Amino acid sequence: MTVEYVPGQPQSQPQTTIAGHGDRPLLTVTDLSVTFTRRGRAPVHAVDDVSFQIRAGEHVGLVGESGSGKSVTSLAIMGLLPRGGVEVAGSVDFDGQELIGLDTATMRNLRGQELAMVFQDPMTSLNPVITVGRQITEVLKRHRDLDKADARTEAVDLLTKVGIPDPARRVGDYPHQLSGGMRQRVLIAIALACQPRLLIADEPTTALDVTIQAQILELLRELVSGSQTALLMITHDLGVVAGLCDRVHVMYSGRIVESAERRQLFARPRHPYTGGLMASIPRLDQPRGVPLTPIPGSPTDTLPWSQGCAFAPRCPNSEVDCRMHTPALEPADNRALRCFHPLTTDPRSVGATHA
Amino acid sequence: MPEPLLQVRGLKVHFPIRKGVVLQRQVGAVRAVDGVDLDVHKGSTFGLVGESGCGKSTLGRAILRLTDITEGEVLFEGVDLAQLKGEELRRRRRSMQMVFQDPMASLNPRQSIETIISEPLRAHDITFDNRRVRELLELVGLPASAASRYPHEFSGGQRQRIGIARAVALEPALVIADEPVSALDVSIQAQVLNLLEELQDRLGLTYLVIAHDLAVVHHVSDEVAVMYLGSIVEQAPSDALYAQPLHPYTISLMSAVPVPDPVVEDSRQRILLTGDLPSPANPPDGCRFHTRCPFRQETRCDDERPALREIQPGHRAACHYAEEILSGHITPREPDEALRAGVA
Ligand SMILES: Nc1ncnc2c1ncn2[C@@H]1O[C@H](COP(=O)(O)OP(=O)(O)OP(=O)(O)O)[C@@H](O)[C@H]1O
Ligand SMILES: Nc1ncnc2c1ncn2[C@@H]1O[C@H](COP(=O)(O)OP(=O)(O)OP(=O)(O)O)[C@@H](O)[C@H]1O
Ligand code: SF4
Ligand code: SF4
Ligand SMILES: [Mg+2]
Ligand SMILES: [Mg+2]
Repeated sequence: MTVEYVPGQPQSQPQTTIAGHGDRPLLTVTDLSVTFTRRGRAPVHAVDDVSFQIRAGEHVGLVGESGSGKSVTSLAIMGLLPRGGVEVAGSVDFDGQELIGLDTATMRNLRGQELAMVFQDPMTSLNPVITVGRQITEVLKRHRDLDKADARTEAVDLLTKVGIPDPARRVGDYPHQLSGGMRQRVLIAIALACQPRLLIADEPTTALDVTIQAQILELLRELVSGSQTALLMITHDLGVVAGLCDRVHVMYSGRIVESAERRQLFARPRHPYTGGLMASIPRLDQPRGVPLTPIPGSPTDTLPWSQGCAFAPRCPNSEVDCRMHTPALEPADNRALRCFHPLTTDPRSVGATHA
Repeated sequence: MPEPLLQVRGLKVHFPIRKGVVLQRQVGAVRAVDGVDLDVHKGSTFGLVGESGCGKSTLGRAILRLTDITEGEVLFEGVDLAQLKGEELRRRRRSMQMVFQDPMASLNPRQSIETIISEPLRAHDITFDNRRVRELLELVGLPASAASRYPHEFSGGQRQRIGIARAVALEPALVIADEPVSALDVSIQAQVLNLLEELQDRLGLTYLVIAHDLAVVHHVSDEVAVMYLGSIVEQAPSDALYAQPLHPYTISLMSAVPVPDPVVEDSRQRILLTGDLPSPANPPDGCRFHTRCPFRQETRCDDERPALREIQPGHRAACHYAEEILSGHITPREPDEALRAGVA
């Protein structure tokens, strides 16, 4: 498919390579922590010392189970956390500008122009009483200074680019008149209206059917590849990151436990949690006799990171030290790993063993 | 082959669409299930897969008579339940149980686990003691101490175990599991899938598993049927279906499922479908899939509804051109062409 529209970059500019080039990262998250404090309750360390970087044009995946802190990480980056009852520490550097603690007006401007986000449920981010066309033109008028006529032309253009048929008619529709897949396309059109340099997609396809999911993923792939738009893809689906992301960070209980380039990660998971996830999902491309090895317990059976490894209660490799010391995220040849006894064999073929 | 445990013949479930506040005129119908035949054999697992709104849950509920049937019949052990009354109906019903998608919504938060899992026993006036409750808990891998606790004290996976314990309490012959793992975290799904398999072995259960996740259905099922807009479009033994899908919808569906392996992801050919699912209140003429089919041929596909027919031994598909597609004489339109053609 040829998509003529390349957000954030003039057409003629040659493509630069995506992963691993030496430029300064576009986004640098350093020791980001988010703690929810509610009176009378123990504080919830939703995000705990998370660090990662994204370069221009790079696609980064954040995977983990429910409650692992993926959404809170993205909300912290976007400055969208609730005001009260939450403590944010650490740094989020976007192209040299510190986003944590930035005043509301500047942040709102940045959000319209440079950073954009697509959520799981498009209905919560679309205004139900305003036509989708107006929701797009408003953004264009506000952030790109287009006049009414130009904004409308551009809106129709954007809807065409995200694959909405009969866009000239659809600009007059209200969100409820569109299917879930079409609403997600509208949201992507709005997100791209300002040609953002960073797009955060939080489970953008989780609520959709698999054939519609494939369309949306293909759309995202086309729109960001070949441009310098950086993508942070948040999902619980390892299949989605396998096809889309250059680099993958696996989160567990608020912390990153393993980071690697996607081929390395899937070819050789080293963290027992990553390996456990891979061994527990049935795969369509394998015969049905292949047994599944579940991870015991549930994501709520965690140890506080301050005491040891949060995964210890469920980990097949766990030993005494895992409950006494907190493993650090150690870098090792272009990967990073938070584990005392990493996998040495692939749990997808045999039971987990350790070094 | 022995008589199937469950036979569904020409089953239709249409929900009337009414207009008007007082008169409630019927102006149409949602054809949620529109002519389904299937056989489920004793001790086997039959998987029903399809996208949201294709009628899977309605079909499951109609089999259990939780929804009225518009047309067709459901035979259980060769007997049409519609013909039964009183004690005989109660006895047959007892042998069919259901496991639901959302374990929290299906458990009464104010009842103890003991009360919840013994509820079907009480409903059928079966005497039981604490030992039976402990036995059931143990069967699904929960400690005996769970009996006196309440649903909110358990995780999602444990709640699903409780729902399964309740379903097997009456030692049913058939268990219909509607999306039994889709509300669960990835790391928990395998626990529940393995439990279902283990219980099948121990109790000789027959399953009808309903799910939208093809990988899950493939993993658990002996036989798989793919539904689209109220009908079965393809049916085959699980491995045969996945090795060689014959219907264009199944082919596209399988190509759309992300596989957690970058090597596979980078090399596979995707057949992108255009558009959304049409409304079951107003299904397309001819082949119901023709509005999205990448293999569609003029004009037969638009005019004539294909029957579900055997293409290979034991492998049925409802497509006029299944043979030509299999032999490669008909190829799909390019994905980009399809994508550009518009997403209706
Ligand atoms: N507003 C809030 N107040 C208190 N706790 C919160 C709040 N928002 C999130 N949390 C908690 O923070 C933790 C991380 O939540 P988060 O939404 O980031 O998870 P997630 O990884 O996005 O999960 P999911 O896959 O379910 O979306 C959870 O324990 C959650 O309960
Ligand atoms: N009681 C009802 N009255 C009217 N329409 C109904 C009723 N129940 C279901 N439907 C409609 O029938 C169709 C099939 O619904 P059903 O719930 O069986 O689908 P499904 O395949 O189980 O979908 P999902 O994957 O979303 O659970 C849908 O269009 C639905 O809106
Ligand atoms: S540190 Fe220990 S408990 Fe944690 S993942 Fe590694 S082996 Fe398992
Ligand atoms: S009958 Fe025609 S439209 Fe229907 S699935 Fe076959 S090729 Fe496609
Ligand atoms: Mg989330
Ligand atoms: Mg359903």
